[in-house]
Amino acid sequence: MTIGDARIRIPDRITRGDVIIVNAIVSHPMDTGFFRTADGQPIPAFFIKDVVVTYGGEQVARFEWTSGVSKDPIVSFTLKADKEAPLTMIWTDNKGGVYQQTANVAFASA
Amino acid sequence: MATSQSSSRRSFLRSCLLAGAGLVGSGGLVKGERLLAYSGLAGDPGDPEVPNAEVAKILKDLFGDRPIRKGHMSLDMPLVAEDGRIVPVIIESDLPMTPDQYVKVVHLIVDHNPDPHLAAYHLTPALGSVAIQTRIKMKRTTWVRAILETSSGDVWAAYAHVNVSLNGCG
Repeated sequence: MTIGDARIRIPDRITRGDVIIVNAIVSHPMDTGFFRTADGQPIPAFFIKDVVVTYGGEQVARFEWTSGVSKDPIVSFTLKADKEAPLTMIWTDNKGGVYQQTANVAFASA
Repeated sequence: MATSQSSSRRSFLRSCLLAGAGLVGSGGLVKGERLLAYSGLAGDPGDPEVPNAEVAKILKDLFGDRPIRKGHMSLDMPLVAEDGRIVPVIIESDLPMTPDQYVKVVHLIVDHNPDPHLAAYHLTPALGSVAIQTRIKMKRTTWVRAILETSSGDVWAAYAHVNVSLNGCG
């Protein structure tokens, strides 16, 4: 995976009104700035600092992160699936990199 | 049988404590106070240590003088983290997520990390519940604090003590 590759996993079958679990991962080194390379060069801090979650265009959550979150950060949270709409996550790092992924919340036909 | 064993163990422990208190009594008041804390007379054993200056400032900036009470919150972390680079965290709360009463934000604070205020999760009622999982880095053995703030300004917390074998922060 290259930096910024992201995946969002939601359940296959969703019924309207379910509180579903959303799992998300983004590929990122999350460098703290405290480490050095093998030949002694400092590795500058490079980490995701902001995550915005929107559902049907409406912001439902925002996470503020530091380099204390592990490499290739995962986050899971719940969502009340009350409409068929895209769930979008946007990760922003401290060097201005913006990474985006979307999962479509759709209800299983009865 | 079991009862008499445990009661004799208890009285043994109590006499040890008293003997210890007598020994350090001459050593000064400070040591005596620490002994009281260990014996459980002051506070719950699940209470974290008094925050260091940096953490105290973070708590003050976030919550001002509002009391930080324990409850309505669970923080699930391993007792021992072999690799401080990847320490799993599960945060849950039983508080409602309705438009007029919900959990506004959850703060994750790791006392002895270089940047103790590790993450803040801003939530809305659209999430339906509070159940967050992630993985964090930890520098060394310390307390972790998960503290939430509700839409009405109440502050609730849960604490976990994690033994870290391998420094994950460099």
